[in-house]
Amino acid sequence: MSNNEDREVILSIKHVDISFDTGNKKKKFVAVKDANFDIYKGETFALVGESGSGKTTLGRAILRINPCSAGEIIFEGKRISGKISREEDRNVVRNIQMIFQDPAASLNERATIEYCVSEGLLNFHLYKDEADRIAKVDKALTDVGLLPEHKSRYPHEFSGGQRQRVGIARAMIMDPKFIVADEPISALDVSIRAQVLNLMNKLKAEKHLTYLFIAHDLSVVRFIADRIAVIHLGEIVEIADSETLFKYPLHPYTVSLLSAVPMPDPIVERTRRHKVYDPSVLDNSGAPRQMYEIRPGHFVYATEKERAQYEEKALAAEQAQGEA
Amino acid sequence: MEEKSLMEDVKTEERSDLFEFAAFDEHESEHIAAPQYSYWKSVWRTFIKNKFTVAVSIVMIILVLFSLIQPMLSGYSPLIAPHVNEPEMRFLQPSAEHIFGTDNLGNEVWDAVWAGARNSIIISFVCTAITMVIGVVVGAIWGFSKKMDKWMLEVYNVVSNVPFLLLAMILSYVLGAGMGSLIFVMCVTEWIFVAFFIRTQVMIIRDREYNLASKCLGTSTWTMIKNNILPYLISVIMTYVSRQIPALISYEVFLSYMGLGLGVTKASLGRMISIYTSYMNGYPHLFWIPVIVLAILSISLYIVGQRLADAADPRTHM
Repeated sequence: MSNNEDREVILSIKHVDISFDTGNKKKKFVAVKDANFDIYKGETFALVGESGSGKTTLGRAILRINPCSAGEIIFEGKRISGKISREEDRNVVRNIQMIFQDPAASLNERATIEYCVSEGLLNFHLYKDEADRIAKVDKALTDVGLLPEHKSRYPHEFSGGQRQRVGIARAMIMDPKFIVADEPISALDVSIRAQVLNLMNKLKAEKHLTYLFIAHDLSVVRFIADRIAVIHLGEIVEIADSETLFKYPLHPYTVSLLSAVPMPDPIVERTRRHKVYDPSVLDNSGAPRQMYEIRPGHFVYATEKERAQYEEKALAAEQAQGEA
Repeated sequence: MEEKSLMEDVKTEERSDLFEFAAFDEHESEHIAAPQYSYWKSVWRTFIKNKFTVAVSIVMIILVLFSLIQPMLSGYSPLIAPHVNEPEMRFLQPSAEHIFGTDNLGNEVWDAVWAGARNSIIISFVCTAITMVIGVVVGAIWGFSKKMDKWMLEVYNVVSNVPFLLLAMILSYVLGAGMGSLIFVMCVTEWIFVAFFIRTQVMIIRDREYNLASKCLGTSTWTMIKNNILPYLISVIMTYVSRQIPALISYEVFLSYMGLGLGVTKASLGRMISIYTSYMNGYPHLFWIPVIVLAILSISLYIVGQRLADAADPRTHM
């Protein structure tokens, strides 16, 4: 847990605010408030939260689709938010890729798979000649378990899982270092979710990738993520290693979120009690909140007063663990 | 009884004898059995599937080819009236010798109609080509650029509020009558309506997720228009063309009828209709023949265009 310090940070998000115009100039809609976290090289960092909590917005800000209204995003020591040169922008495109939620909507229906997959290659001219480009497309398709003969096909001829793999091949052909996976399996059939997750894990190991995995399904996150950040109404409320977060959730929102994970066990399901999130238990005095490291690697967004409560809670949990 | 003994037989037997593990072929499971899909081939197949469409297409092709070729053979010109001094040649009824009869100057209506149709077709095809090319290119950029949208909308508002007939009158007085100036008059404002239509269509599909994906892959705006936007608009553009060609034929006829179109030196359906209106009581066929030819031409062009547009929509290919 405490070895986080000596790992290399690939992406860090510092005090990032993202807001959208609402038409009313005085009132802006703030989608993400004061987001702070580091993602280490080679890990899978998950961002979980309910619909509308701002997780996709934050993911898209990393890809420079949504501009940050405050704070900065650092990738490999260089700022990539705000105004940057064209060259740096192209560098971001080459190194940070995205896997989209809906494979049906994110592929160009009027283009062949060959074009869809080699689009990035064509844009950056990452091939020696035509034969090299074809070879690269074949390799990318084979890597995700598709066949080279699929090149001349159109997206609508594929199943959902196959289409998502085309989406993955399209991102992987760029040889990126960092991948933002925006709910990559939530539009897929349950039967092929595992296939896509396993493929993502396999590619991560082969190509030394780092993932930002955006999801709302906690059981999936527990399977794939090394560390988890919980986001609620645009605020990142808790960050911890997966195991720690599932064992000792500190923030009341995390506690209620975890209590809502469905269990495939009818007896447990019948007796369990859902904890409803009640924001009134928080310190609502208006004191400023910031990220506090309650335990090494376990951060909670809290006021000074709440911090003391969380410290106590963490201590109590540790003692209970010790006695058991 | 027999059934029961069979059941017992099964029970006693080893289960592994009954079922075998089938080999799993990963290659086979990913294989797509359907034949290769080709967009234009499917468009063609959908188009010729309907018998009515094929019939109308044949009528349209015959009409267009006939009006392009027949005037070359007849050499008809409204300035030459070979039978002007032969009163017995005037106002003849349609017969085997004079298919559409003759008019007030003893000219063959048959020759005049095809020469007029030829000019109408040429003008409308040229105008459609010009307005569509300019309109699609400008509209595609207009739909993408928010900066351009601001001032282009103002230009559009101004242009669309100028009465067309007024503009056509002024321009035709300034430029004089003739094919070139008529084409200019018909194109000068028309392209902005095409561009506005394309702009709206582009805006509808501009922010779809696959365009976002292309942006994430570093695709430039121009490549995006070429590969992501325009292929989606083929059927919409086709629909527009199928309305534009007959509309411009009618426009040409209307302007010539008003005396603003082609001069007296060129055959024109519009002017024929306008002249023959005065013989409506005595010789109604003089009026109806050019009107019916015009109607058949416009309608067949419109129907073929609409059917092509339908066939160009991949949703009809299944």
